[in-house]
Amino acid sequence: MAKPGKGTITVTINGSAAMGSEGMTLLELARQSGIEIPTLCHHEELSAIGSCRICVVEVEGARTLVASCHTPIAPGMVIQTHSEKVLAARRMITELLLASHPDSCLVCDKANRCQLRHVATDLEAAQPQVRGRKRCYPIEDVSPYIKRDLSKCVLCRRCVAACREMAGQNVLHMAYRGFNSKVVVDTDRPLDKEVCRDCDICVNVCPTGALSLVEESGSKKKGKPLFIKG
Amino acid sequence: MPEANIVLKNCGVIDPARLDSYLAEGGFEALEKASGAMTPAEVVAEVKASGLRGRGGAGFPVGLKWGFTRQAPAEIKYVICNADEGEVGTFKDRYILEGDPFGLIEAMAIAGYAVGAGRGFIYLRAEYHFLKDKLAGAITQAKEKGLLGGFEIEIYEGAGAYVCGEEMALMESLEGKRGEVRYKPPFPPSRGLWGQPTVINNVETLMSIPRIIKNGAGWFTAIGTEKSKGSKVFSVSGDVGKPGVYELEMGSPLRELVEDLAQAQDTKAVQMGGATGRLLPGAMLDTSLDFENVLGAGSVIVYNSSRDMVDIVHRNLEFLAEESCGKCAPCREGTQLMVVVFKRILAGKAKERDIEFLKELATTMSLTSLCGLGQAAPSTLLDSLSHFEDAYRARMKDIAGAVT
Repeated sequence: MAKPGKGTITVTINGSAAMGSEGMTLLELARQSGIEIPTLCHHEELSAIGSCRICVVEVEGARTLVASCHTPIAPGMVIQTHSEKVLAARRMITELLLASHPDSCLVCDKANRCQLRHVATDLEAAQPQVRGRKRCYPIEDVSPYIKRDLSKCVLCRRCVAACREMAGQNVLHMAYRGFNSKVVVDTDRPLDKEVCRDCDICVNVCPTGALSLVEESGSKKKGKPLFIKG
Repeated sequence: MPEANIVLKNCGVIDPARLDSYLAEGGFEALEKASGAMTPAEVVAEVKASGLRGRGGAGFPVGLKWGFTRQAPAEIKYVICNADEGEVGTFKDRYILEGDPFGLIEAMAIAGYAVGAGRGFIYLRAEYHFLKDKLAGAITQAKEKGLLGGFEIEIYEGAGAYVCGEEMALMESLEGKRGEVRYKPPFPPSRGLWGQPTVINNVETLMSIPRIIKNGAGWFTAIGTEKSKGSKVFSVSGDVGKPGVYELEMGSPLRELVEDLAQAQDTKAVQMGGATGRLLPGAMLDTSLDFENVLGAGSVIVYNSSRDMVDIVHRNLEFLAEESCGKCAPCREGTQLMVVVFKRILAGKAKERDIEFLKELATTMSLTSLCGLGQAAPSTLLDSLSHFEDAYRARMKDIAGAVT
């Protein structure tokens, strides 16, 4: 462990002391200390988004749980990353995301690479106890490069951030409100090659099967399906 | 306790269209005192000493907020007046803006002087468009008289979203973006509007400032309770004989407001603080109105015994699901799912486990949501479950009878 120097912050994480530098987030420090916190909207190469709330942790003295991906460490913080309270909240959020997610996992291309399924499996989140509304949008396959199936979108906004920050474009935006929020192109028109220069960056950061490359079906072997508790 | 007259001192007394009538009531004397006889640090210290807390609902100490902003190292700083009065059942800010626009302008200029900001914005609720010309006229008159000393005030009209009353969403909206919350920290006093240190206060909060500066913090701390100083303005509506705007000293009993002043009878419940507020049963009318007990943004909606609590909470949740900005998962999905469960309760199809699920969902939402909307969204639901469980049981009786 590094020696305490200027700008070094010491916190207690799950009962043991950990040192990080100023400006570091709770998530970065936890990962540096070998503690795995599940995330969905967080991406190492993008600035923090804070939309999925899966990465919440308990900080002593805080009124609510705090999202570790965008909360900077402060001296003397006492953090619990896997308390009962935290796990229950993470599980409930995952269930909420599954509640509006289509039941097409069995045939989804994303298969075992789907991060929503990873998170759900790790947390042993079951199918939601209450059946809610599903998001239903037609598949957008106008573009010869990118297929968008927004019914599978968990609204993490990684694609919006990646388009802006990594691709240097501003093709994707949010529109509508609340449950009807949607990642849109322009004034909600299908993504086509007129507006998008097919860099695939958004496809690579999508945690679910909402964004995919257009491939002739059966041309490529997909990943193995993943066991999901339910 | 008698009705207080601090914030509403000039309402109905001055002619809101004429600066000279405001000056005749001692207007702009506080600004003159602050900028003439006091240093900015002294102004902040005076506000700190007054114990004034934000009237928008959260009750954050105003002096602290100003102090942080003053100390933030930046050339450009801003003052924002939150006039987005979007909380369900509030109309007190409107009354203030209509009756005493000069008071607000003076308060903003004092805030600007105290924290070192040269520009201020009034974020005016879209529905208050009719007030824009009045406010703009007041600003022009004060400027022409040279009273603002170079402090610029602009009016920015919102577009009608409830969530834009939340300070971060308000700033996003003011910057011309989609009205959505940002995560905190950083807080507005270090990084607010356009990334600059920003003081953001509610209309009513700012209205106490000129009085505090003029009369001194000692005068202000003598009013109210230990942790809640000054007065609070309430908008009372619902099943009352005399709905309207009332100003009371902090710590007054709710009964005085609801029964004595607004003349409510047969009160079943009072919704304090709007859609994200609390639901108090009629038996709790002796609760005192202060930050220690119950306050909220000043919205007081009274329901008499003819009202069905399940209906009220359902309507409330529908509103919140509609107004959720959609950024964070717990609020976006949670409010929606609560409405789905309520539809089932109303149809008489709910089971015991649905109620349990609602409670679990409520806990997660209040612990993990990004902003106050999601965090406080389940509060009327939880209050109704603890005080009016019978109303739910009545809706579920067939099933409950069959199961147990």
